[in-house]
Amino acid sequence: MSKQYGFHMDTGRCIKCWACEIACKQWNGIPAGGIKRRTVHEIDEGTFPNVSRTFVSLSCLHCAEPACAAVCPAGAISKRSEDGIVVVDKDKCIGCHYCFFACPFGIPQYDENGMDKCDCCIGNGVTPGDTPHCVAACPTQALKFGPLDELAAEVSEQTVLQMVTADTVPSIVVS
Amino acid sequence: MSEKKLTRRSFLAGTAALGAMAALAGCTAQETLEEAPAGQAGVESGDAEVRHAWCQMCGPACTYCSTLCYVKDGRWVNVEGNPEAGNNWGVGSRSLCGKGNSAMQVPYSPNRLMYPMKRTGEKGEGKFERITWEQAIQEIADKLTEQKEQYGPESLGVLSPQAWAVIQTLGRRFLSVHGSPNYMHSAICAMQRAASKVISIGKQADCYPGQIDKTKLLVIWGANPENSEINRGKPMKILDARQAGMQMIDIRPMREGIGSKADIWVPVRPGTDLALALAVLNVICSEGLYDADFTANWCNGFDEFAAHITKFTPEWASPITGIPTDQIYQIARMMGTTKPMGILYGNGIGDQANDGNWTCICICLIEAITGNLDIPGGGGAGMTLPPSLIKTNAIEMLTDRLEETEEDKANGYFRGMSKLVANEFPRWYQNADTFGGGPGPTSAYYKAFMSILTEEPYPLRCVIGQNSNPLSATRQPKNIVEALKKLEYYVVVDTAWNTSCDYADIVLPALTNYETSQQFAIKNRVDGTWIGMNQVVVDPIGEGKSDWDFYMDLAAAMGYGDDFWGGDMDECLRWQLEPSGISLDELREKGQIFVERTDGATATEPKYRRYDTLFAKLPNGKVQCYNEYMGGKLNNLETGTLPYLPEYQGPPEGIAETPELLEEYPLVFSDVHAYRLCNHSCYVDVPYLRELQPYPWVKINPETAKKYGIGDGDWMKVESPHGWVKMVARYFDAISPEVLMARRGWWLPCDELGLPGYGCFDGGSEVNVLYDTTIENFDPFHSAMAKQTLVRISKLEEGDGNE
Repeated sequence: MSKQYGFHMDTGRCIKCWACEIACKQWNGIPAGGIKRRTVHEIDEGTFPNVSRTFVSLSCLHCAEPACAAVCPAGAISKRSEDGIVVVDKDKCIGCHYCFFACPFGIPQYDENGMDKCDCCIGNGVTPGDTPHCVAACPTQALKFGPLDELAAEVSEQTVLQMVTADTVPSIVVS
Repeated sequence: MSEKKLTRRSFLAGTAALGAMAALAGCTAQETLEEAPAGQAGVESGDAEVRHAWCQMCGPACTYCSTLCYVKDGRWVNVEGNPEAGNNWGVGSRSLCGKGNSAMQVPYSPNRLMYPMKRTGEKGEGKFERITWEQAIQEIADKLTEQKEQYGPESLGVLSPQAWAVIQTLGRRFLSVHGSPNYMHSAICAMQRAASKVISIGKQADCYPGQIDKTKLLVIWGANPENSEINRGKPMKILDARQAGMQMIDIRPMREGIGSKADIWVPVRPGTDLALALAVLNVICSEGLYDADFTANWCNGFDEFAAHITKFTPEWASPITGIPTDQIYQIARMMGTTKPMGILYGNGIGDQANDGNWTCICICLIEAITGNLDIPGGGGAGMTLPPSLIKTNAIEMLTDRLEETEEDKANGYFRGMSKLVANEFPRWYQNADTFGGGPGPTSAYYKAFMSILTEEPYPLRCVIGQNSNPLSATRQPKNIVEALKKLEYYVVVDTAWNTSCDYADIVLPALTNYETSQQFAIKNRVDGTWIGMNQVVVDPIGEGKSDWDFYMDLAAAMGYGDDFWGGDMDECLRWQLEPSGISLDELREKGQIFVERTDGATATEPKYRRYDTLFAKLPNGKVQCYNEYMGGKLNNLETGTLPYLPEYQGPPEGIAETPELLEEYPLVFSDVHAYRLCNHSCYVDVPYLRELQPYPWVKINPETAKKYGIGDGDWMKVESPHGWVKMVARYFDAISPEVLMARRGWWLPCDELGLPGYGCFDGGSEVNVLYDTTIENFDPFHSAMAKQTLVRISKLEEGDGNE
């Protein structure tokens, strides 16, 4: 593989403003009330007044070893060799939901045309490797996108370790 | 379904994505749900057009975020931050908040008003007939002329939807030329906070750091940086500083977005911030943590002040604020010893609390006596930019046209002050030195409405409500509606039908700012000066007209055309642009123009500690610890004088303030006021925003909810001594079990998602029905009204079918 692109999610900067979610929807032409390719999750710990809140914006993690592609009986999911972006061919998708059950992150969603998920905006005209709209929209620079090795170089070894030791080797660093 | 796919594929093959497709040769591309939207790639292929618009979704007052709007097949489909404008973190930033990202859904709302209407039935009955613009303008002009003769020009009032450019220029100019001082200002505004600063540390001084990269401690106090103007640079810079080691204290009832990054969270009970501020000052003074050199040289009556506040100990404040004594000592010592320290304090505690004036004054005094004013990384002291390279004319309000009455003269008031129907500030206060948001007198929105009912000192006879729904914009809609019923003539100019329209005589359809090309704004930067103008992104919908044109047409019909460029907005724009040398046609065509700075000038460090300048307009040229600016002078109701030293007042209903109510109403209730998915009650009909929060919510600690048998997502009844609302319970751990916090303003329906609007009276979801509106309880200096009360709650069994 020539390159693996991925995301850096800096939870120290995410304030749960939802700009990424809405940017994703508008640029991918997804109507309100439908599926979401990107979601800002929240992890709350403790009880009042000792409560911590952590916000994590996640989309498809474009895993090095995508479990979704491995189980797809229709060969609809593939990992692009030149940039590592995992894409789905909806013409081939038969809507069996195997990918949903295989994905450790619960990413695949379905509409009338089949499975749908993040493609790093290449389907809406962004040149592969260029900044996807969720990242461009983020008002606090909590989300970054780029070659994964470069993103990994900016975070701690432990953070990188968490990523590379996960089952499907997701292309994301969360710091 | 398959037809849709074919269309999509042919689009991909033939147009915008060609370049991208070529780069993917041999690879699988993912198809999107709809035809690929038009971004820059679409523009390059000639498939889409890009137009410039100012995003004004943080309020009509705002021209902060310049946006690029992509139009394809005549429809606005996408929007992004304009990288050339210098938004947020600077040139190259394409960021936009959630609201900004959904802007293209705004003009296409099915709630849009399509044509002018005139009421035919009784007020409130909802019977209207369609009329022409010409008829509407003529009828309004005839009525205003008649009322001016019969009752005097001051019988006209104009509502304030924030410091909106249209009203702040043409609207208030119209009032002045007509002869009325009654700009009905909300009293829920940054102007309140600004005024407290004017009378304590001076207009030019500031508590927020101008150079936050040098700040060691930032205190966020009753401010919502994650809810208000997110894309204007503040959260970005705060987070940069935080990650570089700046400490943060967050003082708010909920642990919100940026608060989640704070070192210390202080979950103060809503409405009790003054008690906390007094206790912080008490510790700083009693433990000698103040800057002795500063207090000796630059503070008015510091010793008297210090002696006065000895009674406001943390032990005293703890049972009022709900904050443990230890934590009050801890934060006071941090503020007293960490330097430079800055404070970001917000409207929540300034203009939405009965004692907001003293709360803000005390916060300013914390910043001042700790020696943090005007030092690098402390309050104010921002870098100085070289001057703007684009000069323009600003539309004046012409307040010199207001009549100077004998009373004005005798008291030394600014002209018009004596005729105000409900002066927002004390009449002695507003003058050319002190005005915030423009040089003109203001009446307080709620109090002015009450004049219609009390006829004291006289009733307003006509109110023009533009972009402001009085049944949601101010407290107690149940009282406002009575005033609307009695009001002789009510004109609404708005983009959508609002709940007050049923009481209007004329309802006019306004255009959104995306349908007109009548506003520009300038961003001055180090590298040059940039000017951007709204272009027409969407062709005008229905028979709508812009708010600018409304005033131009009305002025012309009233015979005021000479002061209004002959009633021609283009002429007005040409006049505004005149000094710039840029023509209106060129700016309209290009949407944006950048003038590069070529003289090498750059941002420079300011002079620090300019106290003689900053405090020049303050009594004795000093910070007002003992406040002689307002002390001993008339309050705004003219029922007594204002104090020199602070006393704690607190909310009209509170745990410590009214313990006798606790048995019946055991919980504290307040609301967030500003929220990142709306602007006041606007944009509740925008599908991308409503989708995220479909129902009127109230955050409740699960422990409390379970005690009342209320599940997460259940509808509940929230009842105060003043009214009741229904809201959906949202479990939330980062709020005290004794406090509820809600989001307000839910009257707009969202048809696309099948979601209703909720009413503004009892049984609806407008939290303003819950609050006290005893005018004597309002802040005696700047008229702020409390948004805190006590409530009882129960599960609402019947719901409304929308759960």
